[in-house]
Amino acid sequence: MPLLAKLLRSKITIWVLLVLPAIWALKPLFAPEPSDADPLKSTLLHLGLIACIVLVTVLTFTPLRVLWPKWGVAQALNRHRRLVGVGAFAYALLHFTAHLLHVYDGGFVTFWKEIQKPFQLIGLGALLILFVLTITSLHAAIRWMGGKAWKNLHRLAYVAAALAAWHQADARKIFPLQVVWIFGPLAVLEIARIWKQRVTASPPRGTTPAQTS
Amino acid sequence: MLIRTPPSWELPESAATPESVYLNRRALLKSLGCGAAALALAPHVLRATTAGFPTRVNPDYRDPALTPTSYEHITSYINFYEFGTDKASPKTNANKGWKTEPWTVEITGLINNPLKIDANDLVAKMGGAEQRVYRLRCVEAWSMVVPWDGFPLAKLIKLADPKPEAKFVTFSTFNPVGAPGYAGPALDWPYLEGLRLDEAMHDLSFIATGIYGKPIPNQNGAPLRLVVPWKYGFKYGKSIVKIDFVAKQPVNTWQAMQAREYGFYANVNPNVDHPRWTQASERVIGAGGAFGLRQKTLMFNGYEAQVAGLYKGMDLRRNY
Ligand code: HEM
Ligand code: HEM
Repeated sequence: MPLLAKLLRSKITIWVLLVLPAIWALKPLFAPEPSDADPLKSTLLHLGLIACIVLVTVLTFTPLRVLWPKWGVAQALNRHRRLVGVGAFAYALLHFTAHLLHVYDGGFVTFWKEIQKPFQLIGLGALLILFVLTITSLHAAIRWMGGKAWKNLHRLAYVAAALAAWHQADARKIFPLQVVWIFGPLAVLEIARIWKQRVTASPPRGTTPAQTS
Repeated sequence: MLIRTPPSWELPESAATPESVYLNRRALLKSLGCGAAALALAPHVLRATTAGFPTRVNPDYRDPALTPTSYEHITSYINFYEFGTDKASPKTNANKGWKTEPWTVEITGLINNPLKIDANDLVAKMGGAEQRVYRLRCVEAWSMVVPWDGFPLAKLIKLADPKPEAKFVTFSTFNPVGAPGYAGPALDWPYLEGLRLDEAMHDLSFIATGIYGKPIPNQNGAPLRLVVPWKYGFKYGKSIVKIDFVAKQPVNTWQAMQAREYGFYANVNPNVDHPRWTQASERVIGAGGAFGLRQKTLMFNGYEAQVAGLYKGMDLRRNY
């Protein structure tokens, strides 16, 4: 097995990859650049960015496996869906916590006013979905819900991604191009995957149900 | 040689306060060299208007309750989209060879005395520079306190001598396309800002040519930059090349981009929210470190007594 796939099979590798970006995100709080006038805001933005990237990453695992079922890397990655998915939730929660601190005014007046703004409601929607996916991902919850219901619920992950993209685009005054390079590849993979599943599932051209039966 | 006649209110011998003095006032017991070291470490940026320095503090605009933000933060936490859309880029990009001296500004439109003039000559004509300490409130809900050096805009307007038809003044920033450090299209260049003529004539309206008694760094809008402290920071047109007196209300750049979020008046108003955040409170840059608390935003950024009269009878919710 190629080295990369071997590495990616290991939970330790995934843990390291998930934790490393946190160092970058939290650095402004502990060692701010002298010129950074609002380190907490830097941390807040970095955490949001990482949350989006991790969320998109976990969503690419299934299409990668569908498109290249024999590829070792895709197989390795699909072992870690739960860990990476929960990682996305963890970063989103940290992002939200940084926001709470950032708007803290001795109370929650500012927080309460701002959470009603559409772009924050969209973020909140994404956060709640990730939260629900995380708590229902416990084995007990899966067993209790039954596989089918759980799978349907899991599809909400795509809604979360759409909301996150919208939230990220809306967070800036001018459309941020990184939305395209973060969510674009996922969209391409999903389209390819749906197309492949259609082609494999549909009967060959020119045959009618009558002829095949 | 520049000869200036100091206006009567000036204390003849008081030079403008450099940052070291503010710092030492704040922390007398801190090591004496601290402020000086900070100054020595300040990056050597290309200088803009060099005329008029050293400046003199105008005591009428030096509220002792205000603690100026550090020079480092004022000169590195910046929105100047011509040189990048994040806060840190302008400091790097505006100092990659972009020249702000010599600099010519054109004063034109519905006036009796149109002229094109070198920025340094203009400062000399305005009688040199004075220092005023103003609050600065960004539309993004953060704030600073800045010791600006420069001259009152009203003086420039008197020089221009507007005709009765002139009702508004516009300020155009230089066209950045092709300038060293230009970061690419973000807004519809050149950046345009405008004021009603009576707003522009107001005592508080100011053209800054310096910060902390030093020529204004490129990234802060060298060599000439509008300062209107009761309005949000985006009204402070930077690196002005043209001042145009017009009859009709202009459409400023951000209003053209997003009229729902940014209006023409852009007066600081804690009661009128931005569509994406509240304007009722603000983060004070540099105060209290990373977890510093917010403070309440004041009506007209604390200049209500001086400017409220300009907007009598106007619906400030609609004219945001
Ligand atoms: C209640 C939930 C949330 C709140 C209140 C919230 C709040 C915010 C705020 C205040 C900003 C900064 C906007 C500015 O620059 O002024 C922001 C930006 C951002 N948020 Fe959230 N957010 C939430 C959930 C999420 C979630 C779930 C994600 C991703 C999965 C996310 C990703 C981002 C990204 C990518 C940015 C832009 C960063 C940038 O522009 O560099 N947020 N959010
Ligand atoms: C923490 C517990 C989690 C567990 C145990 C878990 C487990 C799984 C499993 C076994 C699958 C395969 C389902 C199938 O192929 O039929 C799956 C799919 C998926 N998971 Fe998770 N997951 C967890 C959390 C998350 C989170 C938090 C997210 C996203 C934020 C997420 C996103 C996805 C997506 C997008 C799929 C593909 C669904 C599809 O293909 O229809 N997962 N997960």
